[in-house]
Amino acid sequence: MHDLIIVGAGPAGMTAGIYAARYGLDTIIISEDVGGLMNEAEPVENWSGIKSIHGFQLMKNFKDHVEDLEVPIKTEEVKSVAKTKKGKDTIFKVKTKNKTYSAKSLIIASGSKRRKLEIPGEKKYEGKGIHYCATCDAPMYRNKTVGVVGGGESAAQAVMLLAQYAKKVYLMYRGDQLKTERIYIKRMEANKKVKIMLNTKVKRFNGNHLLKNIVLQNDDIMKLDGVFVEIGHLPSSELAEQLDIKVVDKKIVVNEMKETNVKGVFAAGDVTNTVLRQCVTACSDGAIAAYGVYNYLNQ
Amino acid sequence: MTKVTIYTSPTCHFCHMLTDWLKEKKIEFEEKDVSKSEEYVKELMDKSHQMGVPVSIIPGKDGETVIVGFDKDKLEKALK
Repeated sequence: MHDLIIVGAGPAGMTAGIYAARYGLDTIIISEDVGGLMNEAEPVENWSGIKSIHGFQLMKNFKDHVEDLEVPIKTEEVKSVAKTKKGKDTIFKVKTKNKTYSAKSLIIASGSKRRKLEIPGEKKYEGKGIHYCATCDAPMYRNKTVGVVGGGESAAQAVMLLAQYAKKVYLMYRGDQLKTERIYIKRMEANKKVKIMLNTKVKRFNGNHLLKNIVLQNDDIMKLDGVFVEIGHLPSSELAEQLDIKVVDKKIVVNEMKETNVKGVFAAGDVTNTVLRQCVTACSDGAIAAYGVYNYLNQ
Repeated sequence: MTKVTIYTSPTCHFCHMLTDWLKEKKIEFEEKDVSKSEEYVKELMDKSHQMGVPVSIIPGKDGETVIVGFDKDKLEKALK
């Protein structure tokens, strides 16, 4: 039996692992992948002390740090979590496909999933003109015309990456003001390949085998070779629901110590009701959650 | 067995995970970086009928298996 199981190996989970190891807690991390959505951030320019780094490289550094502290990372998908009692103690059982792990406490740092537009044609052309990972698929669009849907930081990052390959990049955002940092807006405005289209909503995707065009809210048709959807994320809080943890709008509700309403269960990062979903804030959450667990186990 | 061919892009983390995994399993592969050649893009589209990376082409007795994405289960099955 471990002191702590951390579910998720993104910035929050791995930082919790680093802090927990330093507090001397017997800890394991279980996660389907290592790095989470942070792997797709390119470039990361707001990680203090490093002017620019690829998210994938930063997450590799995190992983090395975690492994250096001898915290095992089990790359398995968590299927379920359950709570049992052994005398006075509460024990958490975390099941993966082939194993069951037990611990005295739990940190849920399961992050979030990409939000989709849920409009006609989106599913049909996924991978055939519609993409969700610009860092992966941008090079496929050399000298092509592409669109990015979204108005936040990941949309701006996708635009700037695509502008390195494509001949024209349209950023389409339904609101009247972009939500990203001013530094990104300036860069996009200065790039002749980029056109920002505000108050623009995509209604439908059309094509044959591959995407050919998109239909906007006003029924205008735009011919595009590819569209990258960057409209934010949905917290992956399904496990929390299995433990009757309080969840509002899919976000796990935590207090300032990152404790949930279930004793012994903490949560950190994008899966919680945090106000800013960034690598740095997820790390902060992870550190506080590990501190919370340390106090909980030493009560 | 003929060599495995993989199509990748330099900033794609799934591609890095795939190459790390193949190296760990000591499986020989040829990597084609789609950011370097439009020919590779055409090849990838012809073989996989889509435009995402990574793609693995695994030769076998009954022809090639095309795997889109980094899917360990599918890779293990095709490499048996």
